[in-house]
Amino acid sequence: MSNVSLKTVTATIILDSNGSRLYAKYYTPEAQTSTNASNSNSPSAIPTLSPLQQLEFEKNVFKKVFKQNQDIILYDNHLITYKQSNDIILILVASIHENESMIYSLTNNLIEALNILLDNTLDEATILEKYDLVSLCIDETIDDGIILEIDPAIIVSRVTNPRNANNAAVGEISLNKIDLSEKGLFNALSFASKKIGERLQQGL
Amino acid sequence: MSTSSYKKSDVGNRGAHGLPDKMVVFQECLQQFNASPVNAKKCRLLLGELLRLIYHGENFPAAESTTLFFSISKLFQHKDVSLRQMVYLAIKELSSTSNDILMVTSSIMKDIQAGDIIYKPNAIRTLGKVLDPSTVSASERLFKNAIVEKNPILSSAALISSYNLLPIAKDVVKRFTNETLETLTSYKQFPANQFQLHEYYGSATTNLPSTSYMYQYHALGLLYHLRNHDKMALMKLITSLSEGSQLKNSLSIIQLLRYINKILVDDENLIKILYPILSSYLKHKSDMVELEACKVLINLGHLIKDDEFMQIITCLQKLLSVPRTSTRFAAIRLINKISIKHPEKIMVVNLELENLINDSNRSIQTLAITTLLKTMGVGTVESESGGESVDRLITKMTSLMDEITEDFKIVIIEAIENLALKFPSKHKKLVSFLTDLLRDDGTLTLKSSIVDALFDLIKFLSDESGAKQLILMNLCEFIEDCEFTELSVRILHLLGDEGPKTSNPSYYIRHIYNRLVLENSIIRSSAIISLSKFAVICGGSLSENIEILLKRCLNDVDDEVRDRAVLALSFISNKKKELIVKEERYNLNVLESKLTHYLNGGDFSKKFEIEEVPLLTTEELKSMEYGRKMRKLDNGSEEEKEETTIDSKDQSNDNKSGSNGNIDQTLRLQAFSAELSAIPEFSTFGNLTTSSQSIYLTDKENEFVVSCVKHFFISSSKLVLQYNILNTVDHMILQDISIVTQPDNELYQEDLIIQLDELKPQQQGTVYVVYSIPALTDEGEGILSAFGNTLNYIHKEIIDEEGNIDPSDEGWADDYQIEDLVITPGDFIQPIYNSNFASIFEQLPIEESSMYNLKDFGKTLPAVVEKLTKPLNMMALDGSDYVPDDSASHTLKLLGKDVWGGKVALLVRIAMTNGKLIAKVQAKGETEKFVDVVLDGFV
Repeated sequence: MSNVSLKTVTATIILDSNGSRLYAKYYTPEAQTSTNASNSNSPSAIPTLSPLQQLEFEKNVFKKVFKQNQDIILYDNHLITYKQSNDIILILVASIHENESMIYSLTNNLIEALNILLDNTLDEATILEKYDLVSLCIDETIDDGIILEIDPAIIVSRVTNPRNANNAAVGEISLNKIDLSEKGLFNALSFASKKIGERLQQGL
Repeated sequence: MSTSSYKKSDVGNRGAHGLPDKMVVFQECLQQFNASPVNAKKCRLLLGELLRLIYHGENFPAAESTTLFFSISKLFQHKDVSLRQMVYLAIKELSSTSNDILMVTSSIMKDIQAGDIIYKPNAIRTLGKVLDPSTVSASERLFKNAIVEKNPILSSAALISSYNLLPIAKDVVKRFTNETLETLTSYKQFPANQFQLHEYYGSATTNLPSTSYMYQYHALGLLYHLRNHDKMALMKLITSLSEGSQLKNSLSIIQLLRYINKILVDDENLIKILYPILSSYLKHKSDMVELEACKVLINLGHLIKDDEFMQIITCLQKLLSVPRTSTRFAAIRLINKISIKHPEKIMVVNLELENLINDSNRSIQTLAITTLLKTMGVGTVESESGGESVDRLITKMTSLMDEITEDFKIVIIEAIENLALKFPSKHKKLVSFLTDLLRDDGTLTLKSSIVDALFDLIKFLSDESGAKQLILMNLCEFIEDCEFTELSVRILHLLGDEGPKTSNPSYYIRHIYNRLVLENSIIRSSAIISLSKFAVICGGSLSENIEILLKRCLNDVDDEVRDRAVLALSFISNKKKELIVKEERYNLNVLESKLTHYLNGGDFSKKFEIEEVPLLTTEELKSMEYGRKMRKLDNGSEEEKEETTIDSKDQSNDNKSGSNGNIDQTLRLQAFSAELSAIPEFSTFGNLTTSSQSIYLTDKENEFVVSCVKHFFISSSKLVLQYNILNTVDHMILQDISIVTQPDNELYQEDLIIQLDELKPQQQGTVYVVYSIPALTDEGEGILSAFGNTLNYIHKEIIDEEGNIDPSDEGWADDYQIEDLVITPGDFIQPIYNSNFASIFEQLPIEESSMYNLKDFGKTLPAVVEKLTKPLNMMALDGSDYVPDDSASHTLKLLGKDVWGGKVALLVRIAMTNGKLIAKVQAKGETEKFVDVVLDGFV
């Protein structure tokens, strides 16, 4: 039952409101050495899907999860956790025996990290516009199925901003770009209230 | 979805999706990356576009990919960190499809040594992707330094990179063991400027974590793979890490718990040392750790005591009420898993479960209901108080049924059916729930699943309960107003089978006749067949009346209806009962395989031998279906079990073929029969009566893996032992292989042995040994025996690459001891099903009884019952294979058919007194002396 390898996530998928792919990465399962029988319980027991099967799989999963705020389902021998934000949905796929709470936290925190990076406008248009941030963010969270980091603040801290044409050094950007406009303050406020809410919930 | 349709939709949506054109991106990449000076911002966006294509599933062929790879590597000249991070991601993604990826190695290594801290981790993780086995050792120093690095992110990156290198360079990675150990227990802090990168955090570092300890998780994961062959070292690691909460990271604790599970599955004796560690994690601040601890403990449930088990339940009970859906879901999933085997243990959480029926998550609702259905069953077996709670549950479910989707309804219907099957005393309420549901609106799938459930209940509930009558009447009402032709036809067929045997067949005839008047032609034709069955079985005046009804159908507008009516009438008037109702049916699986064989054979001058297809009586058919049903019911738990047995790819395959049971059994028999009849020595033996499952006589890791199948030819009293031998030694060839067998029963006479000439490495071969089975006579030890086995062979070494042996090498003779093989009573028995055990038992003529002291059969009753039933190969009836954990006595009812065609029934009463287990066995049968044999071989 237990998965002793570090490979935990089978796939990371972001779909738009029609169920088409914005981001889809299926991680290669642990390579099996034929002599080492103890590996036989790793996620590799699930056959890898061909590209066409992947699309089919996404289509079916989308039907099950879109606009159903149930957070977690079992589908086709996979554990699937998901979270919707505006018109996109982030789906993490893992082995059916994986720790549900762990995978869901990962989904939740990844959404939070993306929210911070995309200035609380996590929707299709922004994702496409800032695809570099999105792909770096996911890469700093899950590398080849291994959970790299689960804390959203740390994930965010690892993703570089695109170079601003006017400023050369990165440090300066962060100092110069403190947004004191109404929108910026509002963003900060909404982030803070969300953060507090979540901390409270975790404390329960 | 086909490729073409996908592409079409893709093209249509491109504008809306903003999916860039592949060729445009490709060209622009080449142009921009080779430009001078490089525009960093533009290039980063371009790399984003490229990744978008890759993550959308676009494939770049090797040539294009390599070109891209080359031009991206040009970007190493630019110092910008934000661009460099993106470059590394792109290289990583392209590395699997490009050639010559090694050429970026030096650039990456330079970055790791002297680059900016921001992209160093990315560089290390990318390095793991581009290295090949021959170049890994060159970067050994680099990895070691990075692993012990003070920066936790760098350390993690190096550990993961090493982890990914394991499959290609395990020996090099093994040298990092000390560094990994050091990292595991050290404290690493983020540098002060960690959060300055992003404007969100700016200078507000106070509330931010100083470290996440993720490096512990990665180090632990890597270390396990470096150490997993050394159990003692792993034990030491586990105990030292669990002391004084060394592990700070929840994920690393989860990982540790999994290792403990793994160790315990391998060696159950360590539970005493490891249990305190496991149970200490049942109380932890993170619910994922608590969950994992519960999972592990439940998986090892058979090793821990009852009061310890209660701790798990308490923990799960707490988790059931947390606000996070995923945690509640996980907890109820675990509780549901326990309920399959030990429903009595979770009755304490019934109240919580009832509240969860109204949970906002549908899966949780459904799991709560199915779990409750299982615990209800237990409650009512022991006391009558459970009755009210079943009522309450059904009321709750009825109100819920309007809201939930069909998928979940179907799950619930199955659960109800299972409950009714396991605990027939409860059937009335459950049947009425099902029939109410049947009357509501629903699609064909939903209604079919209800009808399926009702059909099964009719078949398997005993006749006295009155369930049959109740269900049949309800079905009659249902077809009065049924919009699905398919279902009507199935129900009419069932009415024809079951209706005539009931006390008032005319009731059903009226309903069926209504169909003849009101429905479409398909239903009308099946109604005719159904009526004709009533006519031939009931006879008398009823038969005459039906004939009148059928005659009216001769003028029907539809030709099929007319034809069937004519046919039925002529069968009835000519008293051809067997043409309408048949007690025996062909075994369809065998028929199918025979027909395929016949068609593939291509020789159509011979006629197809329908006689070779075995006929099944209704009783046998029922046994098969019941067995399959029960197995499906237990499957949930079985699956888990199979997966916990480690190193058991092939073993679980065996289990599976075992659990597919009777149907497969006949097919297997068919295959064996064909295989054996091809051997001339066996041609006179007649028909193969039965074959056992394949039994392993060695461990599956040994030099030679030997398994054995017992074949019985009862008509000619022959036993053929088929030894399958696999040579797993790479450098040696076996010749003149034989098996020396020594029965401990002198009545067994060895007839002949068919040797194997040669076995090359990784080759499998077969040795046959033939014995005469003694008759079931009085004297001696009867027909049971144990065979001592030794493998004899001539050993020759392989001397060259092609696997040749030195022709002058005469080799040397050697033998190899393998385990004994036992002939048990179960070898002569087939399980059969009957819903009325008591009356069958009553009728069997020969009776013997005996007492046994079950010393070595395990400590708990369920374990004993399982151990007793398995080798007997009989079917446990009336749900008697289920034993509540805490009961002190149990009655087991077993029924089977022996190979001579007689029935065998066992009534086993087991009682536990003062820790001793005593069994009183009453055996009854139809075949002389065989009852003695069964008692002989009982333990």
